[in-house]
Amino acid sequence: MIDDLVRAARSRQRRAVASGMIAGAVAALSAIGLLAVSGWFLTGAALAGLSGAAAVQAFNYLIPSAAIRGFAILRTLSRYGERLFSHQAMLFALADVRTRLFARLVDAPPAAALRFNRGDVTARLSGDVEALEEALLRTTLVPSGIATLIGALALAALAGIVALIALCAAVAMSVLLSRWVGARWLAPALDAEREATGQLIGQYVDLAAGGDDIRVYALDDAVRAALGDVEVPLQRARIAMARADAVIAAGHWLATGMVVAAIVLFSPAHAPLVALSALAAAATMEIVGGLVRLDLQRWKSRGARERLDAMFPAPGPQMVAAPADPSAEIVIAGHRIARGDRVAVTGPSGSGKTRLLETLAGLRDDAPETAEIGDVAVAQLPLAARRALFALAGQDASMIAGTVADNLALARPGVNRAAMENALFLAGLDDVVAMLPGGLECWLGDDGARLSGGQRKRLSLARALLADRPFLLLDEPSEGLDLDTEAMLAARLRGWLDETGVGLIIVSHRPTMLELADRRLALKVG
Amino acid sequence: MKIREMSTKERAPPVSISPSPWAVAAWVSDALAAIFFALALAQLLLLHIGPQARGGGETGWGWALLLIVAALMRGGAQGMAALLGQRAAAIATAALRARIAPALMMSATARGRIVGEDAELAITGIDRIEPYLARFLPLRHAAILSPLLIALAVVFASWVSAVILLATLIPFGLGMALAGSAAREASEGQFGALARLGGLFVDRVRALPLILSFGAEDRVARHIGVAAQDLAERTLGVLRIAFVSSAILEFFSALAVALVAVYCGFALLELLPFASPERLDFGSAFFVLALAPEYYLGMRRLAAAYHDKQQGEAALAALAHEERKIPDRSSDPARKMATALALSDIVVRHPGGVAIGPVNAAWPAAGLHAITGTSGAGKTSLLRALIGQVPIERGEIRLDAAAADASALTANCSWAGQRALLLPATLRANLLISRWGVSDADALDLLDVLGLGALIAARGGGLDWLVDDRGSGLSGGERRRIGLARALLAPRPILLLDEPTADLDRVAAESIVALLSRTARDRLVVAATHDPLLIAAADGRTVLA
Repeated sequence: MIDDLVRAARSRQRRAVASGMIAGAVAALSAIGLLAVSGWFLTGAALAGLSGAAAVQAFNYLIPSAAIRGFAILRTLSRYGERLFSHQAMLFALADVRTRLFARLVDAPPAAALRFNRGDVTARLSGDVEALEEALLRTTLVPSGIATLIGALALAALAGIVALIALCAAVAMSVLLSRWVGARWLAPALDAEREATGQLIGQYVDLAAGGDDIRVYALDDAVRAALGDVEVPLQRARIAMARADAVIAAGHWLATGMVVAAIVLFSPAHAPLVALSALAAAATMEIVGGLVRLDLQRWKSRGARERLDAMFPAPGPQMVAAPADPSAEIVIAGHRIARGDRVAVTGPSGSGKTRLLETLAGLRDDAPETAEIGDVAVAQLPLAARRALFALAGQDASMIAGTVADNLALARPGVNRAAMENALFLAGLDDVVAMLPGGLECWLGDDGARLSGGQRKRLSLARALLADRPFLLLDEPSEGLDLDTEAMLAARLRGWLDETGVGLIIVSHRPTMLELADRRLALKVG
Repeated sequence: MKIREMSTKERAPPVSISPSPWAVAAWVSDALAAIFFALALAQLLLLHIGPQARGGGETGWGWALLLIVAALMRGGAQGMAALLGQRAAAIATAALRARIAPALMMSATARGRIVGEDAELAITGIDRIEPYLARFLPLRHAAILSPLLIALAVVFASWVSAVILLATLIPFGLGMALAGSAAREASEGQFGALARLGGLFVDRVRALPLILSFGAEDRVARHIGVAAQDLAERTLGVLRIAFVSSAILEFFSALAVALVAVYCGFALLELLPFASPERLDFGSAFFVLALAPEYYLGMRRLAAAYHDKQQGEAALAALAHEERKIPDRSSDPARKMATALALSDIVVRHPGGVAIGPVNAAWPAAGLHAITGTSGAGKTSLLRALIGQVPIERGEIRLDAAAADASALTANCSWAGQRALLLPATLRANLLISRWGVSDADALDLLDVLGLGALIAARGGGLDWLVDDRGSGLSGGERRRIGLARALLAPRPILLLDEPTADLDRVAAESIVALLSRTARDRLVVAATHDPLLIAAADGRTVLA
């Protein structure tokens, strides 16, 4: 699936891919040509020098010495072009892949999206998307390598059929060996590495859960030993990988030695052509070596591609979006909630207050109590129908990496500055934002890192106020606030609710906030 | 906060971030093999020039053999370099992990990190350092030594060629320095924008629940599309300049070959526009030509491994960043026999969370005391703050009326939390009894009182029973009781217990409450609990609001 996305993205960059391939082939051929012509020139010059002054006079040294200089410049320019075009193709294709991956995720059920709200998963995601870079770069380099090979073979053939056959055999030997070793040794070693890495992460997480015991009983050494035991298979897999690479390198160089020796020993051609052919063969084998290493990358990025495949499921059947009936009645655990009602949800922790709010908002379907909208169980309603009714300021008060304005603008399309400032005032955050460098345009960092917990809560509240939905869902909106600020927040919020007639469903353990509600809805554990 | 000296025991030996000398030697011996390869090739070609150049009817099989052996040597040297580099890197990263993992595990809450992020850093992050150690660092040394070796070999054949090779280094170095600083400037100018745009995709994926709940996905998707294009354009702009360095490398590596070829050719033709400073024969000339591409090879390899350097250095920086946030742990403070513990106005706060407290308590050296409060009131956080796992914002801990910090308390208390650590080792090792000189019989008696006798008999092996790394399928209650046994066996004057009777049936809970009451005759037991049974048995009660 990821492979399909990558292929489609690359085909949209056809021009850059083609330019990269051509430049790559020219660069490789001029590297081979440089060495080959140099060898031919040198040998010819030696023969002429030995044959006396007349031969020297007859020797045309202008063309080969110009060719040598030409190849040197061509090689530099085309290599630069190759790198630039192949990276251009890769970068724009990757931009395409990212955009399409995101679109695919948006279409997936919310449960799939919620999995990513964890540091370790997102950290791995960025690494895996990076691994696609190599896969994309590889695709331009392999075809240009093949074009190079054809040119190199033609050059080697100048020394006769023996040279041609020897070089073909050497290239085949190197490629086949690397394919065989790759499938036979490298792939299993990579699988073992992946499994061992998973186990090591599992072991780490297991041990880290007992961090308190580690500290109190000073179990540092025991932890080291426990991790070390799991590390052994990982190291063994890596050594096996290095060993497979070593076998491939040895085979490749054996082939190189044999082809050069065969050309020099058995070619019946004139000495300068033998020198040309031998050096061309050596240069060709060097390029083949690079291609073989690139080809092995295929095995190495396989893990990342498989993980991405699992993380981004192919688009499935869509839930039919039932139109949200604006007059539909909301019933939670038997309590009817009409437009404009203000309800506090209470209950001991673990009774599912947060889950209830998130279920109403459409982020999950596992609220422990029954909730219905217009006689339909909430869990049966599509996300679009639910979020049309509710604006959530959730418990985690999550933020996007961006400015204050970026975060507020998420609420709905076309939020203007005045509305933002008003919402910040209502949330009691106007003073804080005024103090930030750049005000509304202040960069908040990842997940609102620049703000304190209480400030984030209020920014998330301001965003919910801007959303213009019939109900506000607030989860512990005053957590982390002192009593005075909390009282101010409650007063402003009450005024806004009176003015707009928006309904409120609030979860809080603080009396000031609970007073905003007209009635309570008590949940039981279980 | 007092500054204490770190004992050598707690600071594991420093990890050397230096390449394996054997890997460097292997890379250099690749250059040595290249010299033999060039020599053999030149001698073989000499046979083609004919009897004018060399007397006798040599067939060249000897030189051909040397050629093949030298080629094999190159393959072997490159393979060995990778293998030796990998071995050394494995040792270094294992040492790095051994140093940092326990410290990270003990301080996740204090650093405001979740365990998953730490695991990613300590496992995958450190893995990224391996190629840097295994490949890039040895290549960096070899990139200096190999060209010198090649130039030395060239001196014997044609000293003028050696001078030509060495002379190309000067403009090369100058060009690299200029291009390098231009690239650095270009990337520094764009660095902030590139980092933001690069992180945007992952950030929006992370914030997807938020985006979905406001129905902003279409707007965000469009923004991601625009930003991704922008990122590609800006990155390409930086690369355009960065690739100049590699073009310079490519140019001089080509120029070295071209200059040597032209010089040698004209010297053989004796057409040099100046008096030839040396007498060159074909064998020497061809040897020099075949070696010329090798001169810049080390640097080209180094450039190819540049990605390893970036990844490795980024991972090292991320590790150093977390390591700086790890709170200091003092060395073994004095162990005491009986200890009174008092808290005055202690306020505890998770990074970015709500404040808990102020808490006041005065617990004498013996007795059973309960910490109670509704769930979410911060009982566990208070206990974890006492062992230094959650930051104490203000207030004072006193041990035997002397001011102390969490590490002094940690050394004098034992602990049984909500989820006991189980090591993949024997039950004996898990109970740490050999460390404390407790006999097997005493330990088995205690396990019996805790109601674990039947379980241990069923598993077989007694204290030699091997607890595997997933906790051997123990239930929450069994696991908790093993933790409790460890806390009771530890010869420490204070016991801090978090919900010691949770997950247990009535009978088991009663016997544990009785056991704790007995223990409290000569030790201080502080337990956070909801259990009315335990609260009733306690000598005192501290309520968290």
